[in-house]
Amino acid sequence: MSHVETASWPHPGASSPPTDAAIQAVEITKRFGSTQALHGVTFTVPRGSVFGVIGPNGAGKTTTMRALLDIIRPSSGHATVLGTDSRNAGPELRRRIGFLPGELILEGRITGRKLLQHYADISGPVRTGHIEELAERFHLDLAQPVRKLSRGNKQKLGIVQAFMHEPELLVLDEPTSGLDPLMQQEFLLLVKEARDAGQTVFLSSHVISEIQQAADEVAILRDGRIITVASVEALRQTAVRHLRMTATGIRPADLSERLGRLDGMAGLVCMAVTSPAGAAATEATATLEGAIQPFIQAVSTLDLTDLVLEEPDLEESVLALYTAPEDSAESHRASRATRTARGSRAERKEPK
Amino acid sequence: MTASTETDVRRAPLPIFGKAFADGRRALLGWGIGIAAAIFLYLPLYPSMIGTSEMQKLIDSLPRALIRTLNYDQISTGAGYTQATVFGLIGFLLMSIASIGWGAAMLGGDEESGQLELTLAHGVTRVQVVVERFAALVLKVLLITALMFVLIALLNGPSQLGIDVGYLAQTCLLFAGLVLLCGSVAMLGGALTGRKVWGIGAGAFVAVVGYVFNALGNQSADLEWLHGLSPYYWAFGNYPMTNGAPPLALLAFYGGSLLVAAVTALVLRQRDIGV
Repeated sequence: MSHVETASWPHPGASSPPTDAAIQAVEITKRFGSTQALHGVTFTVPRGSVFGVIGPNGAGKTTTMRALLDIIRPSSGHATVLGTDSRNAGPELRRRIGFLPGELILEGRITGRKLLQHYADISGPVRTGHIEELAERFHLDLAQPVRKLSRGNKQKLGIVQAFMHEPELLVLDEPTSGLDPLMQQEFLLLVKEARDAGQTVFLSSHVISEIQQAADEVAILRDGRIITVASVEALRQTAVRHLRMTATGIRPADLSERLGRLDGMAGLVCMAVTSPAGAAATEATATLEGAIQPFIQAVSTLDLTDLVLEEPDLEESVLALYTAPEDSAESHRASRATRTARGSRAERKEPK
Repeated sequence: MTASTETDVRRAPLPIFGKAFADGRRALLGWGIGIAAAIFLYLPLYPSMIGTSEMQKLIDSLPRALIRTLNYDQISTGAGYTQATVFGLIGFLLMSIASIGWGAAMLGGDEESGQLELTLAHGVTRVQVVVERFAALVLKVLLITALMFVLIALLNGPSQLGIDVGYLAQTCLLFAGLVLLCGSVAMLGGALTGRKVWGIGAGAFVAVVGYVFNALGNQSADLEWLHGLSPYYWAFGNYPMTNGAPPLALLAFYGGSLLVAAVTALVLRQRDIGV
């Protein structure tokens, strides 16, 4: 993670908040009884951007979002949402926000259309026909009673509910959970359109590819702390590429020596193989982090018969951040940020 | 996203109240049918009971304690019979169950299911949610009680009950107040804990303890002080069907319910929802 711009503490933006920030969270902590769900979360979401937060279950994503909407109250710290302090903010602020909760439970005989009408009644004005447009995009039947909808269709209803009044800010907790891949793409398109229209999107996910496609910036949250805030591009640069190559005219030991010198090369395995044509060859597999130019130079003089350099796997690098070794290996009882999340994790010291 | 001023701003006037009431329409109808069935079962039996000396013998043969527990001591008059059977027993049972269920589901159940979180993320205040849903509870209880009033008044003649309609109206008001108090406490219990079951527990506590304290207080002079703690006794202890409703009891029920609703609003304002 050497190339990732590590969030310094406090966040550089904290002292002089940019006035155009859609969300400005400053040192939010939240304690539920004996468990500390958030340990001082600080971040800034610029207006008109898509900001993703990723982290394992129980990292505090849902708690952070609920705090922004005043559904729960931070133990300390504060958040400014669309220029208003989120604590005890009036209904006028929430009309300008579209919210999709993480555990969306919709019940009852009421039809999807009537339920959406109800939410339209208690939120910002909804453009005539907009609900139908959105429902059509997601192939959602609004005449069905809500309780008869599948999980995916309930999720679509939740998405329509969040987007229908074209709010300035969208706060979406695990928005694509339960959606099939086609609908996930449709959702990502919707997010892109929202950004193009000047809306701000704050979304969480534990699926990195989704954040990768949708977000401008990513915060990685673990155990109630933001480990990193980085652009997707910066994250991608730290990502490792999987490498597989075959060359003739070089012995495994020589190849191993030549590649082993390179920075970012890891897990290098070189072995003798027989090429399909029957010639002796050497195959190497490894992972490569960082710049690829030195690698290309190192192999340029070789007689390559095969070379596969895969696209960087963001997931792998983020997972590495989830479980990165501790600066101080201090065993720590897991913070339980959401009802569902349990498990034990090591606590990471705040990056200096 | 530039919200144009031409957008359709059609909004229901009291959206939370409207939805709380509309969602419970079927259940309300069901409870109404149940109450009507009970009334049609009990009241037409009255003429056949007073006419026969066997019935009086049967009542006389029952242990005094049982008669007092069931409040059957005034059962030989139409008013006493109606109070003991409809208001004091089956009606109270059905309506307190209904009201407690509504009250507990209103906030506790809604939070438990995760829907309250979504509602509160919209352009409403927590106090508004409590007030509008409480209003829906009041309306439901009053509607059922109004139905009871109409049905009993209709059967008054044919069943030879000889009930004073004014006293009937007062008794209905008392009854609605008692039931509303149970439902309000259930609402508070749900708001305090975010769990429906605690709301039901709190509401049922008021209803059951009220009933038991009344029954115990009826047994002996030593236990009469329990009447003071029994909302059930406040409602029925002075035979409202023959003597009218004590204003203090009405005040206790309606004032108490409003107070409980106000506390509920304060409680919900302070709490973290859905955790």
